[in-house]
Amino acid sequence: MKFKSKSAFVPYILWIALFVIAPIGLILYYSMLDLNGEFTLVNYRNFFSSAYLTMTLTSFWYALIITFFTLIISYPTAYLLTKTKHKHLWLMLIIIPSWINLLLKTYAFIGIFGLYGPVNAIVEMFGFDPTQILFTDFSFVFVAVYIFIPFMIIPIFNALDKMNPSLIYAARDLGASPLTTFRRVIFPLTIEGVKSGIQVTFIPALSLFMITRLIAGNKVITLGTAIEQQFLVAQNWGMGSTIAVFLILIMFAIMRFTRTKKKGGRA
Amino acid sequence: MRSTLTPLAKVYLAIVFIILYAPIFYLIFYSFNSGGSMGSFEGFTLEHYQAVFDDNRLLVILINTVIVALLSALIATIIGTLGAVGIVSLRNYKIRNIVLSLNNILIVSPDVVIGASFLILFTMIGVKLGFTSVLISHIAFSIPIVVLMVLPKILEMNTNLIDAALDLGANRRAVLTRVIVPYIKPGILAGFFMALTYSLDDFAVTFFVTGNGFSTLSVEIYSMARAGITLTVNAISGLVFIVTVGIVVMYYFITKRSRKTEGSTR
Amino acid sequence: MANDIIIRFDNVTKFYDSQTKVLQDVSFELERGKFYTLLGPSGCGKTTILRIIAGFEKPTTGNVYINGKYVNDVPANDRQVNTVFQDYALFPHLNVFGNVAFGLRIKKVKESEIKFRVAEALKFVNLPGYENREITEMSGGQRQRVAIARAIINDPEVILLDEPLSALDLKLRTEMQYELRELQQRLGKTFIFVTHDQEEALAMSDEIFVLNEGIIQQSGTPVDIYDEPINRFVADFIGESNIVEGVMLEDYKVKFAGKVFDCVDGGMKNNEKIDVVIRPEDLQITSPEAGKIGVTVDTQLFRGVHYELSTYDKDGNEWLVHSLKKAEVGAQVGLDFDPEAIHIMRLNETEEEFDARIEAYTNEV
Repeated sequence: MKFKSKSAFVPYILWIALFVIAPIGLILYYSMLDLNGEFTLVNYRNFFSSAYLTMTLTSFWYALIITFFTLIISYPTAYLLTKTKHKHLWLMLIIIPSWINLLLKTYAFIGIFGLYGPVNAIVEMFGFDPTQILFTDFSFVFVAVYIFIPFMIIPIFNALDKMNPSLIYAARDLGASPLTTFRRVIFPLTIEGVKSGIQVTFIPALSLFMITRLIAGNKVITLGTAIEQQFLVAQNWGMGSTIAVFLILIMFAIMRFTRTKKKGGRA
Repeated sequence: MRSTLTPLAKVYLAIVFIILYAPIFYLIFYSFNSGGSMGSFEGFTLEHYQAVFDDNRLLVILINTVIVALLSALIATIIGTLGAVGIVSLRNYKIRNIVLSLNNILIVSPDVVIGASFLILFTMIGVKLGFTSVLISHIAFSIPIVVLMVLPKILEMNTNLIDAALDLGANRRAVLTRVIVPYIKPGILAGFFMALTYSLDDFAVTFFVTGNGFSTLSVEIYSMARAGITLTVNAISGLVFIVTVGIVVMYYFITKRSRKTEGSTR
Repeated sequence: MANDIIIRFDNVTKFYDSQTKVLQDVSFELERGKFYTLLGPSGCGKTTILRIIAGFEKPTTGNVYINGKYVNDVPANDRQVNTVFQDYALFPHLNVFGNVAFGLRIKKVKESEIKFRVAEALKFVNLPGYENREITEMSGGQRQRVAIARAIINDPEVILLDEPLSALDLKLRTEMQYELRELQQRLGKTFIFVTHDQEEALAMSDEIFVLNEGIIQQSGTPVDIYDEPINRFVADFIGESNIVEGVMLEDYKVKFAGKVFDCVDGGMKNNEKIDVVIRPEDLQITSPEAGKIGVTVDTQLFRGVHYELSTYDKDGNEWLVHSLKKAEVGAQVGLDFDPEAIHIMRLNETEEEFDARIEAYTNEV
């Protein structure tokens, strides 16, 4: 198209400059300032101390677990959804919970996992003593997986949906078992969907802070919690920015890893 | 594919759906509880809903949330749509790809990082933390999603349509208003609704950039939830659920209508 | 009669970059009210000519005139020319009425008049009463007609058709050929039709331009082009041909396949090397003794109306024969033909030289 709407393009370019480039620059700049606003690399030295490294690794570990469970629940769900009669209606029903305010869903689990909540009521029914499920890492992972499931299902569903069904018949026709068909044809063709699913799960999982605070108490500290802590509680923007720099670096690494390649396999 | 699901598959799907919806209905169910907790249901009452509507502070917050959502979605849709048109008009593919990558950064950025960096930005340029900073932030993080919704529609558009319009005597303005915008309307609508939900759903960014005296629903629920269980929050979730479903249904019908006229030429 | 010329190309070239020459020095004049076809393989430049006339593209060098007016710098929306696109380019967000009315609405014609004229145009293309249909509800042939209605409603001087039949199935395509031809005669407008299908071109056109590699190879009526192809490319592209090398011994005497034959061509140097063309339908099968050339039948295909035989003479030249009679594969048969069936093509003769020669030796007679 040959539309030169230069002036209409200006706000967007301004937006990129002000809200994409400038913030990253500012984070970098602040990461090199200490509490008194002096130029220093002490924040980076601190980041490589064992306390922060352990935190980073735990955060990574939790994000991995969360992504893993989200994926193994979501993939079959997405696959089965594509086989239902009104698949787009069912997909819509999967999406709706993702549009309910995140805080409310998290809040629900405070009640559900609470000492007097329904889960403990069931535990009691089987004759066990009610235990505190809230403020454990189990509850944290569970709630996080719950939150991310729809976001993982959508891209996988789309990838499965786009796949040409003849390819499956072709594979079966050529003698592949259902399992082989899945392994050799379906999964490779939907890997892009899985990748974007991982991208929208793993990066937020690294930076969750609201769920950690409400559900995990202070049991789990993620990179996100640490940033919030430094910025809003300790008022140490320098250290907060340093952690943010690493979060951004990790984010770019994951984006590279999950970068989608255009490939055929479509109907 | 006409294959019917095995019973096992149906059970699996049923469990997933139950898990997805149980917490939501659990919340709404206890919003009618005359007891004070989410542990035991003592009797039916609407007093918690009454409490929401009696609480002026809460009502102001609700109105704030809606205003920020509508306004930010509207502005983001305008800037984003023009941005998408601009991106397509970039002939140099290298520059186009760079712009697209920059566009996507805010989408994948963790909201904590967005919040923290915007906080620094606003403090640096001296924007007072409150309504303005929250609105600007919401516009900022909604723009890229609008672009992503609109861009494919522009790209899939057959360039012959523009030639055809020119051929029939349309000037550039008429091509834009009579052909391009009507054609990409579904994308623009989708972008607007996505921006709306992004704004309504946002907690982390708002939490960082809001100041004293200005709060949105998410931030308010957070502080209420930190204090413990109050069934007022349940009542709010009942209301939010209705509004959300309402938006979904509205979006469904609007897109259905425009899809009917748009048709599938592929 | 200069004002009968509606479109004139003066030495038009088009380069996309210095390497790809799409059009090389193309010149022609088109008369008002005729049906023209630009015929050639894909990439020959025929669509580029159309897009230059429509105003979507500018020539790199050379001048374009519409109605005697220099139009190189006139944008598409200011030209009295309308296009029917290959994929129809119907606006999917508008229904049939909206599509056909588009041009009139741009011109701010009164809504009541638009209504009337859309109804007229739809009647013209045999779609009366289809105003409120959605484009998606229309079949390929119907979309085609909507696209035509959308073009003719603006009362353009010239209607450009960019392979509009290529997406239709064979039966519908034949039907639309009749319809388009008839429509053009009813409207009396100039139609410029682009196609790579030689049958389409032969069936519909007043005049055909055969293009290859950005150069007009030959222009003329369908019969001229079919009967007197100027070179191997045209002969090959327009219908099936048997092309063999030969020598023009003198006027009206040609030697090929090891024998000397009478023919009706002349005006060449004695003993000049030439190409001989004989159309498969001009060859008849007879007994080996009665035939002018003796061949062996290699394969035989039944084509419905005729048999298509592939035969070889003793020198290994292939002779394609369209015969109403059946033959035996492997049999020795003779091929018979009239002197008029022999067409002589000089090597590397341009269209002007060809025309000049034909004129010269026909004047002699």
